[in-house]
Amino acid sequence: MDELTVKCLFYADDQIILASSACELQKMIINVNHSVKKRIMKVKKPLMLQGHERAITQIKYNREGDLLFSAAKDSKPNVWWSLNGERLGTFNGHGGVVWCLDVDWQSINLITGGGDSSCRLWDLETGKNIATIKTNSSVRTCNFSFSAYQAAYTTDKAMGHPCEVFIIDTRTIDDSVSTQSPILKWEITDSKVTSMVWGSLDETIITGHEAGDLIQWDLRTGKKIHSIKEHTHQINDMQLSRDGTMFITASKDQTAKLFDTSSLELMKEYKTERPINSAALSPILDHVVLGGGQDAMEVTTTSTRQGKFDARFFHLVFEEEFGRVKGHFGPINSLAFHPDGKSYASGGEDGYVRVQSFDQSYFDYTFDYNRD
Amino acid sequence: MAKKKGDEKVNQNPQSDSEEHNFGEEPDFDDPEGFVDDIPDEELLADLLEQKPKESDGYENVIVVDGCPQVGPERLEKLQSVINKIFSKFGKIVNEYYPTSENGVTTEWEPPAPQPFKVQSDLQWYLMDPDAYDQFLVGIGSGVALQVWQNALPEPVLLQERPNWTETYAVWSPLGTYLATFHWRGVALWAGPKFSQFQKFFHPEARFISFSPCENYIVTFSPTGDRGEDKKLIIWDIRTGQEKRSFPPPDEYVTWPIFRWSKDDRFFARLGTDVLSVYETPGFGLLDKKSIKIPGIRDFSWSPTDNVLAYWVAEDKDVPARVTLLELPNRTETRSKNLFSVADCKIHWQKSGDYLCVKVDRYSKVKKDKNDIKYSGMYYNFEIFHMKEKEIPVDSVEIKEPIQAFAWEPVGSKFSIIHGDPANVCISFYQVNTGQAPTLLKKFERKPFNHLFWCPSGQFIVLANLGLTGGALEFLDTNDFTIMNVSDHYQMSGIEWDPTGRYVVTGVSSLKCKMDCGYYIWSFQGKILRRVMKEGFAQFHWRPRPPTLLSNKQQKDIKKNLKKYYSQFESKDRMRSSKASKELVAKRTEQMKKFVKYREAKTEEWNEQKPRRLELRNYVDTDSLDADQANTVEEVVEFFVKEEQTIIE
Repeated sequence: MDELTVKCLFYADDQIILASSACELQKMIINVNHSVKKRIMKVKKPLMLQGHERAITQIKYNREGDLLFSAAKDSKPNVWWSLNGERLGTFNGHGGVVWCLDVDWQSINLITGGGDSSCRLWDLETGKNIATIKTNSSVRTCNFSFSAYQAAYTTDKAMGHPCEVFIIDTRTIDDSVSTQSPILKWEITDSKVTSMVWGSLDETIITGHEAGDLIQWDLRTGKKIHSIKEHTHQINDMQLSRDGTMFITASKDQTAKLFDTSSLELMKEYKTERPINSAALSPILDHVVLGGGQDAMEVTTTSTRQGKFDARFFHLVFEEEFGRVKGHFGPINSLAFHPDGKSYASGGEDGYVRVQSFDQSYFDYTFDYNRD
Repeated sequence: MAKKKGDEKVNQNPQSDSEEHNFGEEPDFDDPEGFVDDIPDEELLADLLEQKPKESDGYENVIVVDGCPQVGPERLEKLQSVINKIFSKFGKIVNEYYPTSENGVTTEWEPPAPQPFKVQSDLQWYLMDPDAYDQFLVGIGSGVALQVWQNALPEPVLLQERPNWTETYAVWSPLGTYLATFHWRGVALWAGPKFSQFQKFFHPEARFISFSPCENYIVTFSPTGDRGEDKKLIIWDIRTGQEKRSFPPPDEYVTWPIFRWSKDDRFFARLGTDVLSVYETPGFGLLDKKSIKIPGIRDFSWSPTDNVLAYWVAEDKDVPARVTLLELPNRTETRSKNLFSVADCKIHWQKSGDYLCVKVDRYSKVKKDKNDIKYSGMYYNFEIFHMKEKEIPVDSVEIKEPIQAFAWEPVGSKFSIIHGDPANVCISFYQVNTGQAPTLLKKFERKPFNHLFWCPSGQFIVLANLGLTGGALEFLDTNDFTIMNVSDHYQMSGIEWDPTGRYVVTGVSSLKCKMDCGYYIWSFQGKILRRVMKEGFAQFHWRPRPPTLLSNKQQKDIKKNLKKYYSQFESKDRMRSSKASKELVAKRTEQMKKFVKYREAKTEEWNEQKPRRLELRNYVDTDSLDADQANTVEEVVEFFVKEEQTIIE
């Protein structure tokens, strides 16, 4: 388990043997055996972050990448040193599943939302729960805006309450936030919000929905700007590119897709054979990593050998898969690239967060195309 | 002719065999003595008599006379008598016809216009591929859509895809000429480059079919169809579509195929209670008009290369069990062997017909409870018959462990056995020798396999663990027993070699498993070439090929000159793959060009927004990871690495 391999899945067409039916193949084998090169690159031993008792729901790095945050179904989000995997602290206060978290660009505050119908703001340095906003149902997504002057969170359609989107003022965070009314809020009447990102300049948010819709909202008016449906099933995760001009979606419909943040134009599609729970974009290379598996309900019927729980690497532009990393014993629920692009972290249904550094062969790997 | 046929049928009835019309006990319907039937046939079955065949209905033998002189009505009679006189010499004239005009004048006879020749599409087209690419069939859904692919390089090409092509599943005929599909009205055959309909056989709800080995006949079986009790099993002529003979359903549960064909389509045989019924083509009657009485016969199997069949009879009190080789049509017993303490036998012919193996399940103890027979202390014998040697010598291999599987190398003289307890499954390879007992070549211990799949051309074998808990695969070269590759295909439900032995396909069928259905194509040495995941994937079949037309000498010549061909093929392959990679590179280049253009526009936009970004973040530049050097605080964090204690003396 410690030595993980990234296998480059090249179907090496030039290795196929062609012989007429009458030919004896034996002599060819020797030749072919010599030419079969196994493309396996070793990756370094991962850091295993053990601190959660239940499935991981979301992980995120801070802007500099020195800290890694993790939320799980066990009510206590953690923060870790990304360098060595040592736990820096926990955020105690939630009374149930924590579905989502986000950290502002200055690493001052953390926002979390959970199944205990609350959205909470924390002081990072002390781990203190500064504010708690009570909601009518579970908080499914929460994110700081680019400036962190605002934050957005969404609630589930449950217990007779509709799915709602809230925009709150986070310029000064103290206990008044718990009671202040949101800057803006609106109801989602059809399928509920399952993931959300901010548009690049505090002007829009984009919500991903249970039925596969993507909607871009204007925050000055609270109105829809664009609404598209490129996925057929729930959108589990959305992550921005480094500069925020593109974002990637991960859907239960077994695909991940790349969109333009301002126009919602579909750019690329990455296909697999299983539901995708999370997708992340490399900040330095044209790479995409996808993670998923299957519904937690069905996990017991699967062996880890099957590679269902591998993190899978695709080329951003060519949409071709080029590597897999094994490791988790259950589906991957959340993925994040380190801001320096030299490692990534994955959080799984198995309760582990794994921080995986790439070795030189990952960076040396190239696709053939004309670079002129 | 028509009448004669009818007579034959009537005459046959009283002497037909008991297994065909077994009516059992019947009450006495005999007339009292001296009874005279006074009802005329016309009264009893007037409706049937109407349909009674008349001699003149037949057109079996027809003479057409042309070039007759045109005569008036007064001389017609004379012409008729002349013509009659000439042609009655050749047989009895039943019916005659003279074309005449209204006033009785014979007219010019118009010969029927020749039918335009209907071009039969080339049924063997799939064998004409210059690169010897093989085709395969993929069924999706519970036998709804079918795809036919050509296994071309660098990637397979879809030749045909039709939704609702069949209602259940589809099969190739044994030589690959036809594709058979199932429909509620019967069975359809498709052939030729366009897979056009070649023939259809009306047999509602036919669920099972079997082809004769030379593709002359097809047997359809409809257990529930409504074509009548005696038409549950029908044998058809494939080319004409004619029904050749039908049979009532089997009395009890039987294994399909019910009819087993000899290698040349000349005979087909069926197992009965204490009898073996061998039928002959093209007459479709019993060989020598009677079944072969074999008390206690349990099973039989035809040699794949000769008109010889092997059968075995069970033990009966003091009479031992026996395996017999029977040559047909002369019914000569060429070899038989008595066997003792036999619980069961399985007959395995080697595909080349050189050897026959009978796997004998033997017992040390037997306990009989009423109808229940319990065997214990089982051990197993493999009786190997050397078919091509004088007097057919028989060797025996005994294994005292449970047997999972047995398989002959299709060409060559090796066989393989999976045996042992579940905790320690072993695979043994034996070599059959002339004048000497089979020798153990290799034994692999503790292997998780339950199935053996030999390459059709021998030498290579795939060991597999099929089933919901399975998936393990091993590719083996039996020349030196090197394991060429170890891999797996989780929960695979089937494996099929292509007919040339170059490729192996493993599949997870949606009929067996709901998750991750699809098929993988491997090279014969276990290199994965392609993974196809397809929801609802149900079946995969390589299109069979007929045996090679090359003589042994030609084949030898090819092997001798393999080097020459090898370089040819290799250069062709190289060209193809370089063309493919060129295409791929071109495609990528195009994609990248487009993407770079998009990124350039976006980056420009992003650069323009820089003032706004700075504004939003307190004029701190966070555009790159180390852009904000001014605000960076260098912090030294100490980590505990390890503690070491050394005692200094």
